[in-house]
Parts: sequence; C-alpha cells; structure tokens
Amino acid sequence: MIVNFLTYLRERPSMLKWLFLAYLTFALVFDFFADRSHAHFWGDHLVGFWAVFGLVGCLAMIVFCKGLSHVWLERDKDHYDK
Amino acid sequence: MTSSIFMHPATMFIIGALLLPLAKKFKVQKVWLVLVPLVAFIQIQYLPESFGKVDWLGFELHFGRVDKLTMVFLHVFTLMALIGSIFGLHVKESGQHVAAWLYVAGSLGTTLAGDYLTVFIFWELMAFASVFLIWYRKRKRSIEAGYRYLLVHTFGGLVLLGGIFLRYQNVGDLTFELISVDHATLADYLIMIGFMLNAAVPPIHAWLPDAYPEATVTGAVFMCAFTTKTAVYVLARGFAGFETLAIMGAIMTLYGVAYAVIENDARRILAYHIVSQVGYMVCAVGIGTEMAINGASAHAYAHILYKALLFMGIGSVLEMTGRSKLSELGGLYKYMPYTMIFTVIGGIAISGFPLTSGFISKSMIIAAAGNNHQLVILSMLLLAAVGTFLSVGIKLPYFVFFGPKDSGLTPDEAPWNMQVAMGMAAFMCIFLGFYPDYLYDMLPYAVSYHPYTSYHLTETFHLLGFTGLGFYIMVKYLKPHDVSNLDLDWFYRRGADWFMWVARKPISSTNEWISNIYQNIGLRLTMALARALSWFDWEGIDWALDGSARGVVKGGEQVRQFQTGKLQHYIGAAVALLFVVLIVVVLV
Repeated sequence: MIVNFLTYLRERPSMLKWLFLAYLTFALVFDFFADRSHAHFWGDHLVGFWAVFGLVGCLAMIVFCKGLSHVWLERDKDHYDK
Repeated sequence: MTSSIFMHPATMFIIGALLLPLAKKFKVQKVWLVLVPLVAFIQIQYLPESFGKVDWLGFELHFGRVDKLTMVFLHVFTLMALIGSIFGLHVKESGQHVAAWLYVAGSLGTTLAGDYLTVFIFWELMAFASVFLIWYRKRKRSIEAGYRYLLVHTFGGLVLLGGIFLRYQNVGDLTFELISVDHATLADYLIMIGFMLNAAVPPIHAWLPDAYPEATVTGAVFMCAFTTKTAVYVLARGFAGFETLAIMGAIMTLYGVAYAVIENDARRILAYHIVSQVGYMVCAVGIGTEMAINGASAHAYAHILYKALLFMGIGSVLEMTGRSKLSELGGLYKYMPYTMIFTVIGGIAISGFPLTSGFISKSMIIAAAGNNHQLVILSMLLLAAVGTFLSVGIKLPYFVFFGPKDSGLTPDEAPWNMQVAMGMAAFMCIFLGFYPDYLYDMLPYAVSYHPYTSYHLTETFHLLGFTGLGFYIMVKYLKPHDVSNLDLDWFYRRGADWFMWVARKPISSTNEWISNIYQNIGLRLTMALARALSWFDWEGIDWALDGSARGVVKGGEQVRQFQTGKLQHYIGAAVALLFVVLIVVVLV
C-alpha cells in the first residue's frame, strides 16, 4: 500500500513540486504571525531571515564542500592500499 | 559490600556476557539477549545514591555514584543496549554479543564511576571490547581499521592516565568532580584531551569515521551510541563551562556536516554525523549553563536513539544487499518499505522536525547559546542544522531508497527482529517529540524551556523548507561518486607508512652496514685476539705453572685411542675381561 502510494507520487513530480511550493508559501506567511518576544538577536526580528539563511547556507555549503572535495580531498577509494 | 557490586548494572552485563555461550548451548541465547538488558533497564531505577566503595592499595574506588546527570545517561544506555541486542538477535556468533555487552558494561561503569581510577578501568574496557565489534566483520579493511582504532584509543587512554597521575601528584585526590576553569592545570587539560579523543573532537576525531563504517552491522549500532556519549557525560561531569569546548564543539558541528555532504558510503555519512551531533553536546558542555547542560543531556538521549535508528536502517540495507555506498543503491523503497519509513523517521528526527525528538533537544542547546549571547556559535549551530537536514534528512534516504536511478536490486525486507528494534527506536523518536516532558523530567536541572513556541516553529519551518529548496536546485551536483575523501587520519596512516619506510630503509640498512663492518673488521680482530690469548694461555701460563693442562690433554688423547666407538670391540673387551675374571676365580 505504502509502496503503491509512493510510486503514485513519484510518477507525478509536478504535483510534488506544487505541494512543496505551497508549503514554502505557508512557511513564509506563518512567519508574519510568529511571536518574536523571545528573539535572541536582530535577525530574529526580520521576516524570512531564516528562509534566506537556510537557502543561502545550503547552497554555499554544497558549493564549498563539493568544491573542496573536487580540488583537494578526493582520492581513489583504495587510496591508502597503494 | 559484595551485594553492592552485584547491584552495579555493569556487573549484570559482564556476567550476562560470560554466561552467553552457556545460554547458546541450551538454545536460549535469544531469550537471554533480551532478558539481561531488560532487567538492567528496570533495575537502574532502584540504584541507591552511592554504592560500591572499595579500598584498594590505599585508593578509594567508588563504583557507584548516582545523581540525575548519571540517571539520564544510564536510562538511555540501558534502553539502547536492549534495542541493540534485539537488533542483533539473528546473529548466531556469541562473540559479537559478548563484545557488545562488555562494551556496554564499560560505558555504564564509566558513567557510574565516582573517581578517576574507576573511570580509567571502564574507559579501557570500552575501547578493548568495542574493537572486536570491528574485527568481527572479518574483512581485511576491518581488521586494519580495528588496529588503527585500538592504537588511537590506546594513545587517548595513555594521555588520560598521564593526566590522572599528574592530578594525583598535584591534588592527592582522585574524586571525579567538576573542575573549575580558573584552577585547571596541565593535569586537568590532559584528562580533558583524553575525554575529547573519545568524543571525536577534531583534530582527534578521524578514528570515528575510519572505524565505524568498517564495523559489523550490529556492532556499528552499538558503537554509534556509547563511546562518544560516554565521553559527553564525563565532559559534562568534569569540564562544564570550559569555553574551549564551546568553540571546539561549534567547529565540530560544521566539520562533521561538511564531510557528510561529500561522502559516498552511507555509514560513513552517518559516522561524520556523529561528529557533528556530538559537537552540539560538546558545545553545550562548554557553554556550561544549567540550560546548556540540560540540553547536552537531552540531546545525548535523543541522539542515541535516532542515530542508532539510522545505523539500523542503513545496516539493514547493508545486511540485505551487501552494499552501503550511495552510488550503488537506489530505488529500494519498493522492497524494503518499512526499513525506509524507519530510516526516514530517524532522518527527520536528526534534522529536528517538529514532533520528533531532535526538535525538542537540539533547540535547547541553540537556545542556551542564544541566551548566553554567543551569536557566532548560535549561527554555526544553525548552519550545521541546515547541513544535517541536507545530508541525512534528504540526501541519504533519497539516494538509498528513491534516487534518480534504480539500482536493480530486489532485496527482501529486513528480518523481524531488526524491524522490531527499529520500531522501538522510531517510537521513542516520535514519542519524545509529542511528549517532551518524559525526557525533560529526567534532566539534571529543572526545565523552564518550551520547544513548541510559534517562533521556534517558524524558524524550523523556514530552515527545513528552504534547505529542501536548496537540495532541489542542486540535486544533480550532489550525485554521489565512488571516491573516498582525505581526512586527518592521513597523518597517521601515511605517517605509519613513513615510519615503516624509515624502519625498512635507513634503520635497516644502517644496521646491515654496521654488521658488515663488524664481520669484516670486528670479527677478524676478535678472532686474532682470541688466538693470541689462546697461545698465551697454552704456552705461557701452562708452562709457568705445572704443565697439567698438557698432561690432561695428552692423557685424554691416549684414552681416546681405546674408545673406538665400534660395538664389537667393546663386546670383545667385555668377553676378554669375563675370561680373566673366570680364570682368576677358578684358579684361586
């Protein structure tokens, strides 16, 4: 049953995409109504701050780590056996 | 006294382990494997505040010191021993179970210890027992990784022991209590380094992602729970409030995540994530406020369960398919749907989804950093949370169970006992998310923190949602490649090669050179000297005395003539002698 349901979803990627975008919109709208009385610093007062933090952080991390791996850290899988 | 030793939960696991082969003989190994951890899990609730004080060579060993900090760790350790043992029920080799239980015993003993010597004894038991969980995989790589693991831990143990000795010399007391930052000496820092090695704090962390992926399927489930979290406990007990730890911990969270983003082996990704997650706890210990220590304990509790769940899920995949590399997996959700669901639950719990255990524990540490106005640390921890969701929350399940390509594998679903164990851990992950007070009531200090505020929710919605968006944009760059990445174990792995080269080349050839010189010159000189001395002895001393040496040699030479070594000569001589005797007897 679960398998069928997941296969059904996988065959409809555009629907998944719209659901995901709907969720992101919901998250942004929700942010306008959040209670900010326990804010730790200035960023906590900005609407959508953590959205930008999450997206930029995620992209930067992928670019930085993958880049570092390609130019420096990457070795054959039996590197130490040679 | 005797009874209080039997009260110790470590005793139960040690005796349980020793009797395990017997249980196997009577075909009750499976019952025994569930019974012993279950009894221990119940029994720890009834431990007195202090027990097992032993006088030994003038030292007072204290085997049992129980307070709230001890209890929360004992609770999750024994629960984890139960889950891990159920996960390993199908393993027939008693040796693996024995090693796992001795390892658990070491961890429980360290947690309960009230003095440094007892800590050290159980600390070493942990290292010694756990290496067998790697070796039991029996592959060449595992054996090598096991030796490296053992050597690194031996080094850490020696640093710890050195610290303990120095401390005894300075203070004359080995009680294991909180050390104040202002009075910390070299001895205390050595002890801290010993503890930090087990907590896998960079730059002494590389043993963990080196060894854990090479362990057996069940071994890794045990290992991911005990070594690092015992280290977190001893750090929280002895070194709360050391700012070094806060900084190192924050670095750890990012270091682990960075490697998790680029690694290919699923169990190595999870191993790097231990480094990252333990970073949160080490950081909290370093912050040192009541809320931070609560956060460290809560996060250790939650982390043990969801990390074990992840290791069980990926372990099941490895058990059923023989593969653990993302580049060789994909599309497994059709064949292992339950394993997939459990692994995803572990993944969302580690990412801190609302209504899971990660949400209620990780946020406590982040809030503690915020309340302390440590903004750099706060943002490092949140960035690590982004990376966690990216690599374990999405990347790992996506490439193993779904993925852009189908691996073509059609494995069976994992055995029932593995599913039961995963179900238990998954239940706990969600139960703690719904009912955080179950965990909060166990914490060392009273909790005034509420995780489900609208602000915390919106922050989480954003971080998770937009990390997901980042993954969606970049998914083709995240495609795993079958490579390995250098880490700081390079220093001792290449260092060992250089050491061997130095031993083989310069040292060995110098040795040969010297022995050649000796053979050509030294040996001749010695022989000449010996001949000269012999001549002097023969001609000089013997002549000067009485010539007895010459006499003995001459006499010996003459006697030797009779001893021909031929049997017929001897028989002939004996018969001749017999005749002579007869003649004498008859005639006289």
